[in-house]
Amino acid sequence: MAKTPFTPSRRQLLAMIGQVAGAGAMYQAMTSLGFAAESGYRGEIDLQGPRQQRRVLILGAGVAGMLAAYELRRAGYTVKILEYQDRIGGRCLTLRGGDRYTEMGGHEIACDFEGDGYFNPGPWRLPIHHRAVFDYCQKLGVPMQPFINKNNKAYLHSTNAFGGQPQRIGHVEKDMRGHVSELLAKSLNQGGLDEAVSIEDREKLLEGLKEWGVLDSDYGYRVSNDLGEVRGWDIRPGGGLMAEKKPSHPIDLSPLLHSGLWEQLFNFHGYRFEPPMFEPVGGMDRISDAFAREVADVIQLNARVTTIAQSDDGVTVTYEDGGRGGTIRQESADWCICTIPLSVLAQLDVDCSDAMRKAIAAVPYASAFKVALEFRRRFWEQDDWIMGGISYTDLPLVQIAYPNYGFLSEGPAVLQAAYDTATAGRNFTYSWSTMTPQERIDAALVLGRHIHPQYDAEFMSGTSWVWHRVDWSLGCYGEWTDDLRDVHYETLCEIDNRLVLAGEHCSHIPAWLEGSLLSALDAIRRLDARENA
Amino acid sequence: MLTRPLLAVVALLLLTTGSQAQQDGGSSGVTDIDRLLDRFSEDSEKFTQTEGGALYRTTCQACHMADGQGDAGAGAHPPLADNPKMNSKHFIAGVILTGYHGMPGFSDMLSDEQVAAVTNYVRTHFGNSYPDPITPEQVEALRPPKDAN
Repeated sequence: MAKTPFTPSRRQLLAMIGQVAGAGAMYQAMTSLGFAAESGYRGEIDLQGPRQQRRVLILGAGVAGMLAAYELRRAGYTVKILEYQDRIGGRCLTLRGGDRYTEMGGHEIACDFEGDGYFNPGPWRLPIHHRAVFDYCQKLGVPMQPFINKNNKAYLHSTNAFGGQPQRIGHVEKDMRGHVSELLAKSLNQGGLDEAVSIEDREKLLEGLKEWGVLDSDYGYRVSNDLGEVRGWDIRPGGGLMAEKKPSHPIDLSPLLHSGLWEQLFNFHGYRFEPPMFEPVGGMDRISDAFAREVADVIQLNARVTTIAQSDDGVTVTYEDGGRGGTIRQESADWCICTIPLSVLAQLDVDCSDAMRKAIAAVPYASAFKVALEFRRRFWEQDDWIMGGISYTDLPLVQIAYPNYGFLSEGPAVLQAAYDTATAGRNFTYSWSTMTPQERIDAALVLGRHIHPQYDAEFMSGTSWVWHRVDWSLGCYGEWTDDLRDVHYETLCEIDNRLVLAGEHCSHIPAWLEGSLLSALDAIRRLDARENA
Repeated sequence: MLTRPLLAVVALLLLTTGSQAQQDGGSSGVTDIDRLLDRFSEDSEKFTQTEGGALYRTTCQACHMADGQGDAGAGAHPPLADNPKMNSKHFIAGVILTGYHGMPGFSDMLSDEQVAAVTNYVRTHFGNSYPDPITPEQVEALRPPKDAN
């Protein structure tokens, strides 16, 4: 019988490296895999501007296209944007009560939220080192609020561990630290590391481990009032004649190791997910709206591009006015910046080099989905003391994210009740994507009640998003591999005569807003240089 | 690593879905939600369904839809019905393994047997009735060579 050779997923590989060589080596490997890349933002762009009247036609009114229009116009270029949808913002969008969207296959996604909760189907959190995003938010007046990515009170959950009872993130983290400290201290005391550390270092290390891991005088990780101060209490210290405090009990090492919860902690380790993260106040589309305030007057909606033709001194773009099958019209310009996702662009008639055409056709688009549910009350805050953050589980819903706004308010609130992408190496996202909008809500409810049994009593309505059922992106983001980048990336980003591509797919930070902004900035910088060469 | 049998969950869900069905006025019965959850594989890193139709419903259906008709807007997911490309079993199995344009490949998540099963399924459904099934051995031969290291 045919056997598939073992090729570890990136996730498996990282976990293996982490187990064998430690967190430092794992982080290094993450950097090599492009998980932890730095932003290449170099501050405000300084374009020379055209020496004569120049027209730039931009395809796509997402943040990359709108940023290009905004900066090029400031520099003196004449700009126009053609957008397929009847809305601006591309994948940077927010759903609120009353919104409707018909996805591919003909099903309508309804969002019937009654409260002020909202749902970001695409980008939803901003790492602080994504400097371009923050700079433009500041410039365009988009207020920010903290996004709680890691909340020690949120849960880690494994179906087959601890009787299916979710465990607090802080408990898992502190217990792992305590147990590892105890083992390390034991090994140091038994001389097991004499070759690796000097006697002076050994004493320093032992002293530090006692503090760091909260070990007792015998270097044991055991229940104590000291541990209570770090890990929390079964009976919290109270006032007056309330009951005497009682420290909480650590989880034993072996069940913890076998539970898989330690591995779920790695969701918070990446540089990108370091606290504090941020989000725009009121929804992610505040960012696209801010760009739209600047450039809405040059955007033409409902224009479906079919053909991009070039000559030595210009481009002609043919489009259907009113969508597929609409009136055929043309626009000409000196330059074209195309931000159409490669998944769609590969199906259009694009006049460019063979190498670029191959690059456009080479990049698969990743599967990703989300489900959001509105509940009558904030039971996660009121009953579980979870104020913001994310719980992780090995159930196919993968994670539940709590709102980072409206804390303790009465009335309905929205959870992001299921989310995953193909990048994580799990297959669940494909299966969610096969479901109808109603089926996704049913599945999210049935699975989620294992973590929050209050689901049944408090559920009001749900909505969802499946990126492979979005006809203007046919997937979520460019799913690059190192091999694909070696062959195609530079070609894809090069100016091809009068055409240059931009968007998250033309970046080393796929799927992130920062990637699309950096790509657009780099494209217009090179275009401007070419214009002035 | 991530191999976590969902059977226990499914069993628990079965106990609870009855009441939900009642709340819903009986619109979604036990078997419906059970069938729905069956689309999730027991292993998050490999699809665990073996039958072609089950594999189709947990992967391909996302884009090519339940009726195999695909859909079109700005871009299109091509139909699997009335599509001359279906003529070649090698082409279809190859696309499933390595992807095509924006479509991701599934070579890491599907065995040769599974690729053969789903290839044969789509070539004998949605109005297709191609008489030449592909074998797992033929699928194996289509896999791109792996680096020795």
